[in-house]
Amino acid sequence: MSDYEYAVELKNLTKRYGDFTAVKDVSLQVPRGTIYGFLGPNGAGKTTTLRMILDIVKPTSGSLSVLGAPSAMDVRERIGYLPEEKGLYKKMKTWAVIAYFARLKGVGRKDAKQRAYELLERYGLKDFSDKKVETLSKGMGQKVQVLASIAHQPEFVILDEPFSGLDPSNQQVMEDVISDLSKAGSTIVFSTHVMSHAERICDRMLLIAKAEKIFDGTIPEAKALIPKMVNLSGVDDPSKLRSLPGVTSAESADGLPGSFEVCMDDDADPQQLLRDCFRDDIELTSFNYHEPTLHDVFLHLVGEDAKVASFR
Amino acid sequence: MNNTLHIAGREYSDNARTKGFWINLLMFPVILFASVKVPQLLEEKAKPTRHFVLVDQSGELGGVVDGGLDRHYQRELFRKLSEYLQTYMVTPEGEEKAKGPNMADMLEKMPADAFQMDMSGDMTQGLLDMLDDYDPAMMAALGNPDALDAMLDFMKPNLKEGAPDFEAPRRMLARAELPAADWGEIDPMTASKDDIVAHMKPFLLDKQKFSDHKDPLFALVIIPADALQCLKGIGKPMIDPTEAPKLGVQFWSTNLTDKDLAQVIEGALNREVQERELFARGLDGNEVSAAQSTKMLFASFDPKKAIGEEVVSMADTIRKWAPVGFVYLMWVAIFTVVNMLLNNTVEEKSNRIIEVLLSSATPWEIMSGKLIGIAGVGLTMMVAWIFSLLGVLKFMAGPSVEWAGVLFEVIQSSGLLPLFALYFFCGYMTYAGLFLAIGSLCSTVKEAQNFMGTATIILMVPLFTMVFVTMDPHGSLATFLTWVPLYTPFVMMNRAAADPPMFDLVGTGILMLVTVIVMLWLSSRIFRIGVLRTGQPPKILELIRSITTPLKHQ
Repeated sequence: MSDYEYAVELKNLTKRYGDFTAVKDVSLQVPRGTIYGFLGPNGAGKTTTLRMILDIVKPTSGSLSVLGAPSAMDVRERIGYLPEEKGLYKKMKTWAVIAYFARLKGVGRKDAKQRAYELLERYGLKDFSDKKVETLSKGMGQKVQVLASIAHQPEFVILDEPFSGLDPSNQQVMEDVISDLSKAGSTIVFSTHVMSHAERICDRMLLIAKAEKIFDGTIPEAKALIPKMVNLSGVDDPSKLRSLPGVTSAESADGLPGSFEVCMDDDADPQQLLRDCFRDDIELTSFNYHEPTLHDVFLHLVGEDAKVASFR
Repeated sequence: MNNTLHIAGREYSDNARTKGFWINLLMFPVILFASVKVPQLLEEKAKPTRHFVLVDQSGELGGVVDGGLDRHYQRELFRKLSEYLQTYMVTPEGEEKAKGPNMADMLEKMPADAFQMDMSGDMTQGLLDMLDDYDPAMMAALGNPDALDAMLDFMKPNLKEGAPDFEAPRRMLARAELPAADWGEIDPMTASKDDIVAHMKPFLLDKQKFSDHKDPLFALVIIPADALQCLKGIGKPMIDPTEAPKLGVQFWSTNLTDKDLAQVIEGALNREVQERELFARGLDGNEVSAAQSTKMLFASFDPKKAIGEEVVSMADTIRKWAPVGFVYLMWVAIFTVVNMLLNNTVEEKSNRIIEVLLSSATPWEIMSGKLIGIAGVGLTMMVAWIFSLLGVLKFMAGPSVEWAGVLFEVIQSSGLLPLFALYFFCGYMTYAGLFLAIGSLCSTVKEAQNFMGTATIILMVPLFTMVFVTMDPHGSLATFLTWVPLYTPFVMMNRAAADPPMFDLVGTGILMLVTVIVMLWLSSRIFRIGVLRTGQPPKILELIRSITTPLKHQ
């Protein structure tokens, strides 16, 4: 195993298809051993970026290194990949599909078979090991495909939209798979447009929209990007609210009379705001302060475009 | 390299394990067997005896018809007997098996009185010729049940153990008498043809049965009283062609496609009137037959063959036509397997397995793995076919074995096999490259089939021209098609037995190799780009652009 600091390092990566720019000037470093989320609306360039990392698609300009090598093809036996659209050979037996992909990654015949059975047992598909893939439900098929992409115990795993199409309990299984991999020391990059998954499991994230990088860093860093916000309702006089210390703005929220979204300075204390409201006799029916979610960050950074996309 | 083999192995087992593949393999010998045996069995077992009513108003031709029927039966009996003997005779030791029983030996050992004919002296060879020519005297002799039994008794010691008894075939054509009661008021000997036909129609149309006969009536034959006066030929009075059908012998049947009966009767009658004609002209019928049987010795030679072996034999004919079989085999095998290739590629593309493959193996490894795996399927198929062909021939035994023996000898000695291997390889690679490229451009099987429609028409050409090329292997059609890269392997295979000029042989060899290389290069380019494309297949111009621009700009 060679020594490298970053599992992936992208420098000014750009991909153009004719006049269309799919990825524009993206630079990124994925530290070894992290769980890294690629977030962004559909069509933002997540899949293209992942494909370039895998050397399935050649970048138009820019450079990259994967596990210290200039091309993923040189280290392909140490990489696992789950593509966005899921599919398997329908006529093959479940264990054989997993073993086949493991074999392509250089695992020996006996090991491949053994690992296939082990993985199927561990993730609750033991009874389907010797059934054909076409007998599996969609969710089960997707699980099998995930197992197929990690059966060779890769040190770097790329998962493109691993949660899409899974029911909540299988989404949980997927999260388990990712955390199991991480515990085993693998670096994981996955893309998603569901913020809650990213928030729960990511160490770091890349936010990408309209082909361009908007942000990359840790989750707390992302959350620090947006001001503290307090939601108030039953407010009779917004002008008093606005004059309170630490309040930068108070916008009417959700179009309801008396509901306001109050933005505060980074160092302001929400507790002090509540005390100030009582002191100044500002009428309130509710006071709600919460940490900003990744969803808020996403909306804040991506803006109106993201709203459309995240409604899907 | 390892990945290539893994991919090849998966392609192979994925296709070779399908039911369709095995059905395909099994169908070939089954159909081969059935196409030979079923019509035979139907003829023997299922076809009903053809009963017909003969109204002979002339009073003298009825016997002639009966004689014709007898000869027809004897011929059938003789054919069966000879087939039976060839199948069950013990082959004399030290002789080549393929040649079958030695008829001359057999006749020599036969007692002279078995056929009640003079068998002394050099008659053996004469008899052999008679057998070959279906000599009437010989067949008449066999028609006598005693002679047949005597012959079978005599042959018994020479038969293989466990050989079944000889079963004489049944008479397929039989004359039936319509009972007087069924004629009613009509007197068939004097009634007009129209009346007879009108009366018989219900029987012919199977609306009425004979009163003491359950079989349906197959045909009605009317020989008018003046039949012998209504003749045609050189020197005979002219007859108005529109009147002719009303004048002579009439054959009525609802089934005019089964011509056996009509031909037997017509033949017997013609023979009779010809003999009478000879007699009337004062000629001796036997003398005329003898004169007519005189033939000039005539043989065909091929100047390309070694001195002393120029005579064109059965082996030469087989050698000439064997390439047609090879072309056909090659065509079917190639297009069966490249279709599999196409479908697999489209499947992998449509469910995005291809992306996982691309992250595990280079496009070149994927492509070559597929090519090798599918070639294995094709080889399995051909080997299975050849073995089942051998099996069927062995099982059917009989006279066809001799033919098969010559066939295999010819194929072995002619040097066609190495050429077949070469042309199969080149043809397969060219078409596999083409279909792989098509498959990589299509997102659904339906799209691929649209391409296939056009492609199939173009690809049919070698099949359509197969026979013409064989008949004129160095003609302009053959030469032209030889240089069309898509057809080269087929047409050259087709011409292989006719010793094509060295220039063509070497030239097309180079052409084919270049074609294969260009095709594989092109399709690997198209494959790389195509497999990741989504949506509609590209237009031709787009395609050319994508082949010529570097990958990073795509």
